Amino acid sequence: MEQTNILIDYTHHQAGHCESGTTSNLCRHYGLDLSEPMAFGIGNGLYFSYIPFLKVQYAPMISFRNIPNTGFRRATRRIGADATVIKKFKNPKESMDALDRNLEKGIPTGMQVGVFHLTFFPPEYRMQYNMHNMVAYGKKGDTYYISDTVLEQPQTISYEDLQRVRWAKGAFAPNGKMYWITRVGTQVDLRKAVSDGIAKTVYEMIKIPFPLIGTKGMRVLAKHVRKWPSKLGNEKASFYLGQILRMAEEVGTGGAGFRFIYGAFLKEAGERFKVTGLLEAAEVMGKTANKWREFSYIGARNCKNRSEPVEDYGMLGDMLVDISFMEEEMFKKLEHIRF
Amino acid sequence: MEEKQTKPQTEYSGHYRELFYSFRSDGTFNKEVRLHDDSDKLFINQAWEVFDERIENALRKVLAGKVSPIVYYMEKDLLDPLSLAMQAGIPLWRVKWHFRPGIFKRLKAETLQKYASVFSITVKPLKQVE
Repeated sequence: MEQTNILIDYTHHQAGHCESGTTSNLCRHYGLDLSEPMAFGIGNGLYFSYIPFLKVQYAPMISFRNIPNTGFRRATRRIGADATVIKKFKNPKESMDALDRNLEKGIPTGMQVGVFHLTFFPPEYRMQYNMHNMVAYGKKGDTYYISDTVLEQPQTISYEDLQRVRWAKGAFAPNGKMYWITRVGTQVDLRKAVSDGIAKTVYEMIKIPFPLIGTKGMRVLAKHVRKWPSKLGNEKASFYLGQILRMAEEVGTGGAGFRFIYGAFLKEAGERFKVTGLLEAAEVMGKTANKWREFSYIGARNCKNRSEPVEDYGMLGDMLVDISFMEEEMFKKLEHIRF
Repeated sequence: MEEKQTKPQTEYSGHYRELFYSFRSDGTFNKEVRLHDDSDKLFINQAWEVFDERIENALRKVLAGKVSPIVYYMEKDLLDPLSLAMQAGIPLWRVKWHFRPGIFKRLKAETLQKYASVFSITVKPLKQVE
């Protein structure tokens, strides 16, 4: 068998969030200069859900992002790009062959992977998490060239390891899912795309009639945070709090559970289309994001010594309620902005 | 599994620079590539301390013969019973049933193989933890 040697001319940009980062990088590859915040905002990255009865690594599940792949699908649909998503393959061999065929055609291909067995990933972020995204843009022999937006530099991975992370099992198993763009139109109606993206995010944050999703979910979380020390004891409360903060700050969020990225999106959109309402909203979003940072700043002190809380959990709960009302007010205003 | 052992034991974060956004008082959003803040390190380290404690506890219990080795390998791979059940393709109640040492000893080779493949080890170390 002859040695394959393909290297697509693909530029790696580091990004805050894996999915919006890959989307924006792929769009840039096809000549549309879509920044990461824009990809994030158009693809409805922002979300909040708190599911206390589902435990992830022994702590309640909390998510600041949307379900994997919605970001890519919605963003590419709204900007009218020709994109393909293959959700599921029958077996690993087939998925790897499909990837090879794509690379031979010169198409950089995004994949959903599990983080735990990813060889180049920072060891401190190892966890059972299957919603990571990265792009393969070349192959030499049995080694693939990978652009992972969380890391500064492009990486390489062997065939076996890549197959393994693409077939990671568990919740949200990727099943070899891959996606790519074949063409981006020259006349992109960004105004419509942004407007649709905002409308959908507003719906998801304040309108879903279910108490655990959106800004309502934050208030439920606040109520629970207050009760944790008396209900679970200080050690467990501190661990739970730490896990929330990890989800918000640790890896691939750009800080403050994506709130900064969304603010940057509103700002960019406001400047581009000259809409003052969006600029005001961006200001508020920035402030709430700073509040989230403050929350994790203060919350982290309770994680230093697990058995003795430094800060009051009631106060942390109040902070969350404040944040939720600030965000809710902002989204209510956003709902009525037409442009 | 090899990286597991080389994982730094004291400091768990601060080796990789990430892209962070921030909001300045003059109303601009700013991008910078930097390490995590010190406050972030507090909860990252805490999480790893808790997981390490759990792994140690599990190992102690396994060696004392109170639980089956599955528990130790589960903690070592940062799994919980539910995700272990999903990955092994065995119902949750059966996974929990297999946590008992007596039951574990009577497991069929097939079932052992299922667990071993999740932990990416062979059956032999699964049966005997040292």
